[in-house]
Amino acid sequence: MVRQTNLQVALAHLTTRVKQVLVAILSVTFGISMYIFINGFMTGVNDLQADLAFSTLAHIHVYNDLPEDRSNLLEQGAGGSGKLVNIRNPRVIQYTEGIKNAETVVQAISQVPEVTGISIQVNSSVFFRNGATKFNGMLAGVDAAREDELFAISESMVVGSWQALDQRGDGIILGSGLARKLSLKYNDIVMVSTADGVDRNFKIIGIIETTLVSIDDSRAYVSNKAARTLISKNLSYATDIQVNIKDYDAANEVARKIDRLVDFKVESWIEANGQLQAGNELRNYLALAVSFTILLVAGFGIYNIMNMTVNEKIKDIAILKAMGFEGGDIVQIFLTQSLIIGLIGGVVGMVFGGIVSYAINSIPFEIASISHLPMAYRTSDYLSAIGFGLLTTFVAGFLPAKNASKVDPVTIIRG
Amino acid sequence: MNTEIALSVKSINKYFHEPSTFHVLKDISFEVMKGEFTSLIGKSGSGKSTLLYLLSTMDNDYEGEITINGELVTGKTQNKLAAFRNAHIGFVFQFHYLLPEFTALDNVMLPALKLGRKSREEIRHDAMTNLKLLGIEEQAPKQANKLSGGQQQRVAIARALINEPAIIMGDEPTGNLDTKNTDIVFDIFRQLAAERGQTIITVTHDPEFANKSDRVLELSDGELL
Repeated sequence: MVRQTNLQVALAHLTTRVKQVLVAILSVTFGISMYIFINGFMTGVNDLQADLAFSTLAHIHVYNDLPEDRSNLLEQGAGGSGKLVNIRNPRVIQYTEGIKNAETVVQAISQVPEVTGISIQVNSSVFFRNGATKFNGMLAGVDAAREDELFAISESMVVGSWQALDQRGDGIILGSGLARKLSLKYNDIVMVSTADGVDRNFKIIGIIETTLVSIDDSRAYVSNKAARTLISKNLSYATDIQVNIKDYDAANEVARKIDRLVDFKVESWIEANGQLQAGNELRNYLALAVSFTILLVAGFGIYNIMNMTVNEKIKDIAILKAMGFEGGDIVQIFLTQSLIIGLIGGVVGMVFGGIVSYAINSIPFEIASISHLPMAYRTSDYLSAIGFGLLTTFVAGFLPAKNASKVDPVTIIRG
Repeated sequence: MNTEIALSVKSINKYFHEPSTFHVLKDISFEVMKGEFTSLIGKSGSGKSTLLYLLSTMDNDYEGEITINGELVTGKTQNKLAAFRNAHIGFVFQFHYLLPEFTALDNVMLPALKLGRKSREEIRHDAMTNLKLLGIEEQAPKQANKLSGGQQQRVAIARALINEPAIIMGDEPTGNLDTKNTDIVFDIFRQLAAERGQTIITVTHDPEFANKSDRVLELSDGELL
C-alpha cells in the first residue's frame, strides 16, 4: 500500500510542476487514444472484409469431392525399392456425383450447436441464351428463404422480389452483368441450356447486384426444384451444402465436428480462402506493431519527464532520506507520480480515443458497398489500452524511481 | 547535567578513496552526555563535517563503533538506519533544506507522519506547539519557500524536534544567517538543552557560537585535540 505521507509528497511534486505533468499526461493520452484508434480501425477493416467476403461465401462448405487418388494400386501392394511400377493411363473415377440425400445431411449438420444456418444448393454450369447471344455461367438452384438467411441476398435485389423464387418454378433471378450482356430486362424470357443438351425457358423475376462483379456477370438463381428438374436429378439432390456458424473464426473446429457426422468433404472458409485469413492476421500484427511503438514512445516521454523530476527534486530526496525515508518510500513517491500520470492520461486517452474513432468512422468512404471508413468499438481494446498504458508508465517510472532511491543524501547535502 | 550517555564513539577511522586514499578521521573516541550542547569545530578540511555525517548514520562507510541512545548503529542496513534516524535524530542544516512545495506546518509534520506513531491530529498539534516554541506559529500556513532565511531555519529546528529525538545534529546551522538570527538560533539551542535536556551536536565555524556552548570538540587534521 502507498503510505499516505508518500502520497502527499508525490501529489505535492505533481501539483507544483503542472506544465511538465500535463505534457507527460498528454503523451500517455496520445499513446492510449492512438492504440484504441489503430486497433478499432484494424478490427473494423477485418470485420468489413469478413462481411464482404461472407456475402457470397459460407463459413463451411460441404460437397462431394473427388475420391482419393488410389489409381496406383500396384505400388501400394508390391511397391518397394528396386521395383519399377508403371500403370498406363490411370484415372480417378467419381462414382457418385453430388449429394443424393441432402435433407439427411442437413439434419445431421443441424445437430451441431454452433450452426446458425444451412442452405442447399444445386449448382450447374449452363449456357444462358437470348436469341443469338449466349454466355456460359453458373445456375444456382437454391431454397430462397435459407439462402437469404445465410447471405442476406435479398438486400442485393435491384428489381423484383427474392422470395418469389420459391413460388415460381419457371422464375429466374439474373445477375445484373449477365442481364446486361444478354440484353435482358425484368419480365423477359431467357433460355438455359445444360451441358447434357436440355433447354428450358425461364421468366426473369428479378435482377440482382452484389458487390462482386464476377458473380454479377455469371450467376443466376432458380429454385431448388427447377434446378433438379433441369439436370434430371432426384428430389433431395444437392451439389453443395453451405453452412454458417456463430463465430466464423472457429470455422476450422466446427468443420472438424461436422466432418465426423457426414461422409462428404467438409471445408472451412479458412482452408478455402487462405488469403482472407492471412490478410486479417497481417492487419492484426500491423496494429500490434504500430500500437506498441506508440506506447513505447509515450513510455519514453514519461521516462524522460520522471528523470527530470528526480534531478530537479534531488535535494528533496536527500532531505527525505536524512529525515528517515527509506529507499522503498522514495520509489513509492516517484512511482506513484508516474502511475497517476498514467491513470489520468489513460482515462482521458480512452475518451479521446473513442472520439477520434468516432470522427474517423464518420469520414465518407464510398467504394463498393461501404459508405464510411470502418471502425470497431470493442471493450477489450479499451481495457487492454489502459492495461498496457499503466504497464508502460509503471516500467517507465520505475527506472527513474529506482535511481532516486539510490541518491546518497550526504553528497547532496554537503554539496 | 545528566549522567546518561547519549552518544558514544569508539576509535573511529575513516578513509576517502577518491581521488587517492586519504585518512580523514584518525582513531576518534568520545562520549556525549544527555542534555549536553556540544560544538564541533576545526578548520576547513579537518574532518568535522565528515564526523558529523558518520554520527548522523547517513554515511556508514567507516571503521569503529557508534552507539546512539544505547543502540549500536554500526553495521545496520540502510533501511534500518533510515528508520533509526527518523525516530532518534533531528537535523538542522546550513541551508535549511525544507521541502519548498510544502507549508511550514507540513514540513514540521512530515518526519512524524513518516514515523506514524501518532494520529495526524496529534502530530498537527505537536507541530504547532513546536512552531510556537520557536516563535513562528503565524508562519505555519505559509509555503516554505516564501519564508525568510531565519524563519526557514527555525522551521527546520521545529521539524528536527518533532519526533523528540535523542540528538539534534546541526551542520553549521547558523552559517547562512545574520547576527540577529544567529543569536535567535543559538538561544533556541541553549534553551532546548537547558530546559528540555535535549542533546545537541553542531558543527560550526563561528568561534563565538562555539564558546557559548557547553562543550567544544576541536578537530585538526582528522584528530581530536
